[in-house]
Amino acid sequence: MRREVWAGMAALRFVDAVRQALADEMEADESVILMGEEVGPLGGVFTVTRDLIERFGPDRVMDAPLAEASFTGFALGAATEGMRPVVEIMFSDFVMIAMDQIVNHAAKLRYMTNEQFDVPIVVRLPGGGGSNHGPQHSQSFESWFAHTPGLIVAMPSNPSDGYWMMRHAIQLNDPVIFLENKAMYFGAEQEVADEPPADPWAAAVPREGSDLTIVSAGRMVGRCLSAAESISTRGIDCEVIDLRYLWPMDVDTVFTSVAKTSRLLVVSEAVEFCGWSGEVASRVAKDAFTSLDAPIFRVGALRCPIPVGVALEDEIIPTVERIEQAVVDCMDF
Amino acid sequence: MRWAQDLRRHSVGDLATVEEQLFALMLLIRSVEAAIERTHRAAKITGSFHSSLGQESCAAGVSLALRDDDIVTSNHRGHGHAVGKGVSAEAVIAEMFRRTNGSSGGRGGSMHIHNRSVGFYGETAIVGGGLGWASGAAWTRKRHGSDAIAVAYAGDGAFANGIFAEAIRVADFWEAPCLFVCENNGWAHSMPSDGVFGPAGSITNVVSAMNVRSEFVDGRDAVKVYETGCELVEYVRTGKPAFIEVAVHRVKAHSVNDADYRYRPKNEGAEWLREYDPINSLRASIRVEQQHAIESAVSAVVDEALEAASNGALPETSDALRGIYATRGLGWDGRAEIR
Ligand SMILES: Cc1ncc(C[n+]2csc(CCOP(=O)(O)OP(=O)(O)O)c2C)c(N)n1
Ligand SMILES: [Mg+2]
Repeated sequence: MRREVWAGMAALRFVDAVRQALADEMEADESVILMGEEVGPLGGVFTVTRDLIERFGPDRVMDAPLAEASFTGFALGAATEGMRPVVEIMFSDFVMIAMDQIVNHAAKLRYMTNEQFDVPIVVRLPGGGGSNHGPQHSQSFESWFAHTPGLIVAMPSNPSDGYWMMRHAIQLNDPVIFLENKAMYFGAEQEVADEPPADPWAAAVPREGSDLTIVSAGRMVGRCLSAAESISTRGIDCEVIDLRYLWPMDVDTVFTSVAKTSRLLVVSEAVEFCGWSGEVASRVAKDAFTSLDAPIFRVGALRCPIPVGVALEDEIIPTVERIEQAVVDCMDF
Repeated sequence: MRWAQDLRRHSVGDLATVEEQLFALMLLIRSVEAAIERTHRAAKITGSFHSSLGQESCAAGVSLALRDDDIVTSNHRGHGHAVGKGVSAEAVIAEMFRRTNGSSGGRGGSMHIHNRSVGFYGETAIVGGGLGWASGAAWTRKRHGSDAIAVAYAGDGAFANGIFAEAIRVADFWEAPCLFVCENNGWAHSMPSDGVFGPAGSITNVVSAMNVRSEFVDGRDAVKVYETGCELVEYVRTGKPAFIEVAVHRVKAHSVNDADYRYRPKNEGAEWLREYDPINSLRASIRVEQQHAIESAVSAVVDEALEAASNGALPETSDALRGIYATRGLGWDGRAEIR
C-alpha cells in the first residue's frame, strides 16, 4: 500500500529535490530500493543519496560492486519480482557497460514475453557537460535512449521537475531513463510545486513569446531562457518550450506554439547529428509545414568528444551566444 | 511437475525411481527437439533454433532438483530447460510455429520461451543476458520470506563474457539464492571451449577461486547431475549462490542453419551419441515394459503437441504493436491517449 507523504517543502536545489523525491517514494512504498556504486554511506558522488542509508538502511540503499551490467541486470530481476529499483549509474557515460541489460532486456522484456513481465525500474544518469570531467564523463546520450522502443526518457530542467518527475518515474511500471544534468545539481534553489503537474507528460512553456519557438530539454532549457531574455532587448520575443520527456514527446505543445510564432529552433545538449532535435524538426516540418515562415534551425553539440575544461567545451556544447545567433539567423531568413 | 502430468495422461504409471523420472524427462526433451527439427526440415517452421539434443541430462538433472515455485532463466538453447521446468511441449512447439498458444503468444520464437506461471521466466537470445535477472528475482523472493531459489542456465561461451563472473560476484555479494548452471557443451558456436578455458572442469576452478561453492559433473551420468543438483539446490536454499558446470556434448550443429562440418568432423555428434547417449545409459536400471510405456507416452504427448501447435491461431497482425509499455494509455507511438 502506498502512503502519501508529500507535505510541501521549501525551495530546493536540483540535487536536494531529486533526493527528496527518492526519500518520499521510499517512505511511501517499501518496494522502492536504491542501488548503485557509492550510494550508501558516501551518499553518491553527487550527494544525491546522502543520508538515505541512515534513514532507510542498507537493505534499501544498496551499495553495489563496480559491475554496472550485473547490478542493472540484478535490479531488472528484482523489478520483475515486484521491487521498484532506482539504479544510479555514477556518471551517465558508464551506462554503456549496462546497455545490454537496459536495451536488450529491460526495454523489451514486457513485449517479448507477451506481457508476462513488467520492469518498473528507474535508471538515473548524471550526465552532460559543464563540470570539467572530460570526454568520458560528460556525454549526453538522451537520443540513444529516445530511439529505443520500450524506454521512457525523462529529462528534467529544474528542481520542481526533478522532484515530481522522479516521483512519477518511480511509480511507473515501465523502465525509465532519468537524465540528470550534473551541472544543474548545485544550481539555484527553486520552489517545488505543491502538486504534480495535472498532465505529468506535458511539455512546459517556461516563457511565452510570439516571434520564435525554442524547444529544448534538461540543462539547455536554462540557456535557452537566458538567450531569450537577452535577445528580447533586441525586440525579438521568443517562446521557450521545455519538453521534459523526450519519450513520449509532447509534440502537440510544439505545434501549438509554432502555429503562433511560425519559427522554430531546437536546442539539445546531445550531439545534433541524428539527435532527438531532428525528430522535433521533422515532425514540425511534416505536420505544421504551413505554419512555418522560415527553415527550422537546430543547435546541438558538435559531433566531437567533449574536451575537459569549459573553454574548449563551449566550442562544442550549445552556449547562450550560439543559441542567440541561431535565433537571429532564423529571424533574418 | 507439468511434464509428468502430461505423461500420466497417456497412462504411464508412477515414475517411481529417479532413473525413471530422468529417463522420461530426457526422452521428452529429446523428442521435442527432434519434432522441432523434423518440422523445420519439412519447412513447416522457418527461422533458426538451437537444439539441445544430446544435452538433456543437464536440463533434466537440474529440473528434477527444483520445486514448482523456483525460478529459471535460460539461454538461446533453452527448449529443454523450459520443458523441465514445466512449460508444456505444446507451448514450446507452438512458439516455434509462431502461434498464439505458444509460450510467448507467437511473438518470441525459439529463443524467447517464457512462462511465468510455471516459474520459467525464460530464455534470452543475448548470451549471458539472463544471469542478473535470475539472481535479482531470487533475491527478491528471499527478501519476501520465501526459500524459493533461481537457476540461471548459460553455456561455456557465456563464461568467456565478463558478465558471467560478474553476475556470480554480485549474487554472492548480495547473497542471492541463485544456482548458476554452466552447460559446457564443448563449443561456443565454432569456438571449442577447451581452447578457451582448458579441459572441461576448468571453468569450475575459476568459480571456486571466487570463493563461491562450485561443482563439476560429467553430464553423461544423469543421476550424478541430479544428485549434485540436489546438493547444491539445498545449499542455495540457505540463501547463497552456487555454481555447477555440467559437461555435455553438443550433438547437433550450433543452430539448424549452421555448417558445422566446416569446423568439426562430420557425424562427430552422431558418433558420440552412439557411444555415450546418456538416455540409453539409464535403460539398464529401468524395466523394459516401463521403458516402453514411457516411450509411447512421450511420443503421444509430442504428437498431441505438434497437432495443437499446428492448429494454433496465428497472432492478429494488429497485435504487432501491443504490449510495449505497461503504463496505461502509453502506446507505441507515445501519442496523446495519455493526455
Ligand atoms: C552477446 C552475444 N554474443 C554472440 C551471440 C551469438 N551467439 C549465439 S549463441 C553463441 C554461442 C554460445 O555458446 P555457449 O554459451 O557455449 O552456448 P551453446 O550455444 O554452446 O549452448 C553465439 C556466439 C549472442 N547471441 N549474444
Ligand atoms: Mg557451449
